[in-house]
Amino acid sequence: MLKSKKIVVLGHFGVGKTSLIRRFVTDTFSDNYKVTIGVHITKKVVEISAKETISLILWDLEGTDDIETIRKAYLLGTHGVVFVFDITRPSTFQHLKSDLKIVSEKIPNTPLMVVGNKTDLVDAKELQITLDENEITVDFLTSAKTGFAVDDLFTKLANQLAKDA
Amino acid sequence: MNPKMDENDKLEILKDILFADEHEFEQRISERVETLERTINERKQLSEKVDPIVEQQINDFKESIPTTLGPVITATLKEEIKNSRDEVVDALYPILGKMIKKYVAQEMKLLSEKIDGQLSFFSRWKRKFRSLTSGKKEEDLMMGDLAAAKIEQVLLIEKDSGILKASYVKSQAMDEEMISGMLTAIKSFVEDAFNQRDQNLEHIEYELYNIHLQSFATHYIAVVISGNYVTRSKDLVQDLIFDFYNSFMAMNLDLVFDTKNSEKSIVPVSKKRLEKELRKYFSDAKI
Repeated sequence: MLKSKKIVVLGHFGVGKTSLIRRFVTDTFSDNYKVTIGVHITKKVVEISAKETISLILWDLEGTDDIETIRKAYLLGTHGVVFVFDITRPSTFQHLKSDLKIVSEKIPNTPLMVVGNKTDLVDAKELQITLDENEITVDFLTSAKTGFAVDDLFTKLANQLAKDA
Repeated sequence: MNPKMDENDKLEILKDILFADEHEFEQRISERVETLERTINERKQLSEKVDPIVEQQINDFKESIPTTLGPVITATLKEEIKNSRDEVVDALYPILGKMIKKYVAQEMKLLSEKIDGQLSFFSRWKRKFRSLTSGKKEEDLMMGDLAAAKIEQVLLIEKDSGILKASYVKSQAMDEEMISGMLTAIKSFVEDAFNQRDQNLEHIEYELYNIHLQSFATHYIAVVISGNYVTRSKDLVQDLIFDFYNSFMAMNLDLVFDTKNSEKSIVPVSKKRLEKELRKYFSDAKI
């Protein structure tokens, strides 16, 4: 049976939200940065088991420096959230706790994945120091450029949503 | 010494003795000049010497074009296109013209097929009768029939999430789930931007299609219409949607009851059933 679930992908400007979705949906990557205006919607069907598939409708929302300003209308009826930050740009994660609190208030009782993107740009040691120093807990560290952990992220979310449904 | 030798002869002998090395050098130079002259004058020999150098130069030039001349050429082309729009149009017209011609020919073929249908015996008599009863000219009625609005697609969409619950599709063009999401995003944006959550976006025009949107409590319906979408068609679509809502959707999806249904229990409606109901209400509808 095919179920459909709405996933919104949030985060600051240029953290790689669109690239993550593109990598997941079409397995491609582009170095050209094009800012998302409004919202871009894509879809991917994920196989949960031999008998069960789930259709993820991915809402790629435009990046914002103030998470509070995200249009509430875009968040209505959301089944899952992916919050993305850029591990090379502190401005995108220095207020992570308060950003996540805002997201949880806007979309309560919804599965949320916190994702640090662009792992290809730092080495593992440096990355761990950054995470420890900023007391950041992430669900996934990904690289849209290399594809590292991108499928794992969305597949895990899809499995969780299938279980909750 | 020969007593007959005069002063000049003696001088010559002296010159020979003193400039013997210079003579030899002069001889060698003249031989080299001769060889060079032969090389230059004989094409084949010259080619053997010069070709590798020229080839190397050409290769270097080719490699350096993208970095040295590329930006200049691009800028020049852009400037030229900007300054000579008419010439560009003239150059592109033969290509675009063919495409347009093909499209028009295809549309004419479709129109011709429709006219053939309209001229059939049964259609002619039907139109004559309609003309008599309505007082309208037969030609006007025929033109009206040719461009009549048609329902192409009906989407039943969950209001907040934009998730497609079911659809009736006459001609599959795009991914319906993505259309549903996009329509919901547009609808949400417009309603949010105008700060009017109690008002709804009701109509979108997209090229040859009109999209009629009707919101209810938990879902909304999007009807994609082709053809001449006039007020009468709009009223008919509205009637169809409300018929569907009152007889099926209100009770099964929006949990709205009238007194006679108040004791009925609610069970989740399958997608198959929803699609069957949509087909029942919209597939043969004339608008």
